[in-house]
Amino acid sequence: MSNIIHGDIEYTESPQEQTGFLHRVCDITGFKVDLSSEKLIRANAVAAVVSLLLAVTAAILLVFTRYQPIHLLSAEWYYRLVTFHGLNALIFWIIFFEIAGLYFGSTVILNTRFCAPRLGWISFGLMVLGLIISNYIILIGQADVMLTSYTPLKAHPLYYLGIILFAVGALLGVVLFFGNLMIARRENTYGDSLPLFTYGLMTAAIIAVITLASGALIYIPTFLWSLGLIDNIDPAMYKLIWWGLGHSSQQINVAAMVSIWYMVSFLSVGGTSINEKVSRTAFVLYILFICLASAHHLLTDPGVSSAWKVWNTSYAMYLAVLASMIHAFAVPSSYESAQRRWGYNKGLFEWLSKAPWSNPAFSSTILAIIGFGFIGGTTGVIFGMEQTNIIVHNTIAIPGHFKGTVVIGTTLTFMGITYYLIPLIFRRKIIGMGWARWQPWLFFIGLALLSISMIVLGQLGVPRRHWDSTFSGGPFTYNFNPAVDFFWTLMMLGGSIAFISVIIWIVIVVVSVLWGPKMTGPKDMQLTISPLAPPAKSHKGFEAPGTLVLTFVFLLVFLALFFLNWKWLAATWYVK
Amino acid sequence: MDTKPKKSPERVPFYRMIMDDFMLLLFLGTTIYVIFYLLWGVMELSNLPAIPDEIKKSLLK
Repeated sequence: MSNIIHGDIEYTESPQEQTGFLHRVCDITGFKVDLSSEKLIRANAVAAVVSLLLAVTAAILLVFTRYQPIHLLSAEWYYRLVTFHGLNALIFWIIFFEIAGLYFGSTVILNTRFCAPRLGWISFGLMVLGLIISNYIILIGQADVMLTSYTPLKAHPLYYLGIILFAVGALLGVVLFFGNLMIARRENTYGDSLPLFTYGLMTAAIIAVITLASGALIYIPTFLWSLGLIDNIDPAMYKLIWWGLGHSSQQINVAAMVSIWYMVSFLSVGGTSINEKVSRTAFVLYILFICLASAHHLLTDPGVSSAWKVWNTSYAMYLAVLASMIHAFAVPSSYESAQRRWGYNKGLFEWLSKAPWSNPAFSSTILAIIGFGFIGGTTGVIFGMEQTNIIVHNTIAIPGHFKGTVVIGTTLTFMGITYYLIPLIFRRKIIGMGWARWQPWLFFIGLALLSISMIVLGQLGVPRRHWDSTFSGGPFTYNFNPAVDFFWTLMMLGGSIAFISVIIWIVIVVVSVLWGPKMTGPKDMQLTISPLAPPAKSHKGFEAPGTLVLTFVFLLVFLALFFLNWKWLAATWYVK
Repeated sequence: MDTKPKKSPERVPFYRMIMDDFMLLLFLGTTIYVIFYLLWGVMELSNLPAIPDEIKKSLLK
């Protein structure tokens, strides 16, 4: 074994020198960090941040267009930027970050090498090329088809080609993740089973394969159709297969996000799942059933039967929902259990009041759990039922729902874990820790206002993806409930606060990565890396009673909303 | 000669063997999705009766 000192980082040749596995041993975590993997993680994370910047720039313009007193953009640019925002927010930002996460979880966490760095760069190159081509085609006005690009809407062939290139690159990244797992298993670099964090990422990777295969199945023929090589793409068939990509891609997020929640519990308070076997089973339920939920988007389509809709939208009789319920209990209870073992035992909630709230990764995670559960989760189940879906189908409540899941849930979680990635992977101190501490709160407040306002507006009948929902100048008019004006204002305020928060986060990340002082050792670590919580001295009753109470509060809120929606449904369609 | 019984290697429980086999999980996840969502959906859409010609013509006018 040979050691090379380069600057302030020690690089160590691995014992398997024939593999050329050059790594550094992290002086903070003790993990071996493969240098080629580290570069790929950095590159994908940077591309993710750039994609997020593009997405939120479009988002703020869209908010001020839908806010009628300002009505900023023309109809043409509104639909152009809806397409641009959707692709950058839901596909590019999320998947670039997830690929970075997959590489991190399969190499750094497993103390192993990256299986094929060159292929990693090819994957990255294809994804960047896809991003550039698709975004360029959208911005020159050749793909005003929105993210779903339902046929017979037709975009320029390069739009589809860009997405295909991106998907192929992402699929290659996922294959490399599996390659890394195989190496780690063969070289026995971890214990009996994968760590829970990596296990969750494995779940995300499997869902990604299903998702990207669906994408290939629909985008390749559509690309050929746009070139004139195929006469017709059946719109109903397109919609069915496209949502295998569109919805399932968001399930990759769910699995990756939950994995990070467990990871942050471990890093911030030394917590682990109180029953790993159950947590792993919940991930397996995701693998088996969560992709069926793509059927939510066909709930009003007459071509498919109720049997198909009920079976699929219930994730095979709510088995994937059961998985989410397990995580909803297991993640907070891992925090509570650890905190109690550290001595915060008074009453039901001392563990929560004495939690490390000044750690932005911790606060991001807790706020993401709250937003994902109370806003995204409750509305997801209610809007996903055939009966109650009809109240809000194609209204602005639907994007309101996924602002709760993908934005408060996934995006805030990804933002939070970045505060750990800056010192551990980019080896820089965070500049602006004071700002970083309240950035997650600002983001949560902004997004909660935005999301709840959109859901209420949708309940009042306001359509989604509509440049002018006042129908001004149209042959038909509709007078909305006057309350919509209040909620439009609230939505605009929430959107503005969330936008400012994202810009603060991007500035912190960019300034820290480019100009932050270099990490010289554990003393520079601004965020806690907690040792494993000590074993419990004695154990009586529930291990996590506070979480149990919070879970019942959540269930009560869910039940209230559930029955409220059925009440609204009954009021909408009076049955004699 | 050592007469002590040799310690057999630790047996991995069947449950954990399935849980840790990502190729098997990938296969199962894909199969369930393909059968219940894709094939079932495609079959239902494929079996829809075609639009009668007179309606089609009136729509395409």
